Amino acid sequence: MSDMNDKDKKNQVDPKENSRREFLKEAAGGTLSAATLAAGAGALLSGSNEAEAKATWGEWFQKNYRLMTDEEKKESVDRLEKRYSEEYGKKTTVDSVPAQEGVLFGYALNIQKCIGCRRCVYACVKENNQSRHDPEIQWIRVLKMEKGNFLEENMDKGYPDKPGIQVGGNAYQNSGVVLEGEHYYEPEEVPEKGHFYFPMQCMQCEKPPCVKVCPVRTTYREPDGIVVIDYNWCIGCRMCVSACPYWARRFNWGEPNLPAEEMNPVTHYLGNRPRMKGVAEKCTFCLQRTRQGRYTACVEVCPVGARKFGNLLDPESEVRKILEKKRVFRLKAELNTYPKFFYFMD
Amino acid sequence: MKKLGKIAAAATLAAGLLTGSTLLAADTYLDYMKKPAPTDCFESREGYSNVAPTEIKPGTPNVKCSNKTNGVLWWGDPFDGTEPMGDLPIDADYKHEEAVVKPRTGQLKYYAPCTTCHNGSMVPYPKSKAPRALVMHQDIVPDALDLQHGRGAIWCLDCHNPRNRDTLIDHNGGEIQFNQPMKLCGKCHGEVYSDWRDGIHGKRIGMWTKGGKKRWWVCTECHNPHMVQTKRFQPIAPEPRPQYPRTRTNADHERNHGAGHAESAAGTTGGH
Repeated sequence: MSDMNDKDKKNQVDPKENSRREFLKEAAGGTLSAATLAAGAGALLSGSNEAEAKATWGEWFQKNYRLMTDEEKKESVDRLEKRYSEEYGKKTTVDSVPAQEGVLFGYALNIQKCIGCRRCVYACVKENNQSRHDPEIQWIRVLKMEKGNFLEENMDKGYPDKPGIQVGGNAYQNSGVVLEGEHYYEPEEVPEKGHFYFPMQCMQCEKPPCVKVCPVRTTYREPDGIVVIDYNWCIGCRMCVSACPYWARRFNWGEPNLPAEEMNPVTHYLGNRPRMKGVAEKCTFCLQRTRQGRYTACVEVCPVGARKFGNLLDPESEVRKILEKKRVFRLKAELNTYPKFFYFMD
Repeated sequence: MKKLGKIAAAATLAAGLLTGSTLLAADTYLDYMKKPAPTDCFESREGYSNVAPTEIKPGTPNVKCSNKTNGVLWWGDPFDGTEPMGDLPIDADYKHEEAVVKPRTGQLKYYAPCTTCHNGSMVPYPKSKAPRALVMHQDIVPDALDLQHGRGAIWCLDCHNPRNRDTLIDHNGGEIQFNQPMKLCGKCHGEVYSDWRDGIHGKRIGMWTKGGKKRWWVCTECHNPHMVQTKRFQPIAPEPRPQYPRTRTNADHERNHGAGHAESAAGTTGGH
């Protein structure tokens, strides 16, 4: 009994301290009686931040988003809207628009045009409410790559020395790209001579390895091709982070730092609503925008127009025309993930 | 249990404070967040596609800009300051969707308009298109004497209308507005023009949907027609790099990766 009292006190001091996981574990183990549950609710409700406390209580007991009825979804969305509006001091909307029929989102990026200015990285951060620092979360990575050098005289160089059979170099002397890509480059100006740039983000795979490994099925693929996460159902096991071959998933190692003035109040439940500590997140092709018909933030910001977006099922769309007219490749196509993100060249 | 937790938390906090100063280098987003927001931003071409941040409605800015480079990072209203492209008689695929463009004349530094001086009397109309040393406007075209567009085959008056400097001119003598340079550029760069109409080349913002409203970007919003031969796109400063991982104070690990392989290859001739 004294133990329970301790817990009650703890709840009253700071409801945030008691994590959802710990709470559920105890509830499942039967160490909490019904009375304590009610007391816990009371403690939460009497907390200083009432909207947050109520929302937290509701969130603990909501279902996996996919299994919710429409009413339950609405309830959850209302709860979040109220909570975010109070927390960030501005009217926040949480959208729950489902996938449109006849739409399969596709993305194309002109690898020849990209100048590595990283504007897409920060357009994404401005749009998608990532934690700004500690942890700093960015969904897009831009790698600086060395331009290859396929000279004839280098073809037989390196190990094995003679007879050289590895056309284009080998593991010890590569006559192609030598560096694996620089992530932290900071020159005065871009593009730099002798380099090209390689932006990477979630590829919205048709067979996503991250979805396969999720033990609680909180991440799944929507009918319009977007792989989404129900942040509330995520247990933070980070299996998806390690399963992703594209380095696309991020993890909230700490409580996200999102200043109220930087927060984007137009959000979607499965997209850019503010996340919590201990959940995975990634690019969603800005589904809060694209499901309303708007281009993604990174497409709009690219100053050289290297990024293209559209409906793969519409033969007139920009992406389809690129697939028709240009030379196209997909990253790590050999893994059979069937990405919906294409790189192309003029 | 509780005490232990508190001690651990305090220890991490102290560690964070101690190491924080060395781990935070000066070129991350965090550092630029503290700086004031710029009052004048540029969209693609620095100095020639500028936009002033304002509020379109309370709490919603028209653009959000980078505190480091002054580049526009986010559009609140993608159609701010645009006019319908349909009004411009251009030969493009805008029949299916509402297409708008941003007028160029406001962005041209010396557009006063040009006929203020080039009116035939103050500055006489040139008699021939033959290249000659420019007395004026070396500032617009820094290498005016070595204009490389068309590999030296064309000169100012092949594009600028000698009789009406407020307009451009194509090779058939047709007058073209500064607001629709694609009509002029497309006369030679047909392949790019066709890609541009398909939405493959160039940039569009707004709605991706079929029939949705789009803002099309015209040639000179990204390219400097005078310098395009040497630099397709004028280099710009990049946005800040990501923070280094917690255990790193520099990025040497990614810069030296390939070199390490090369060294071992040089040192061991067939040693494996």
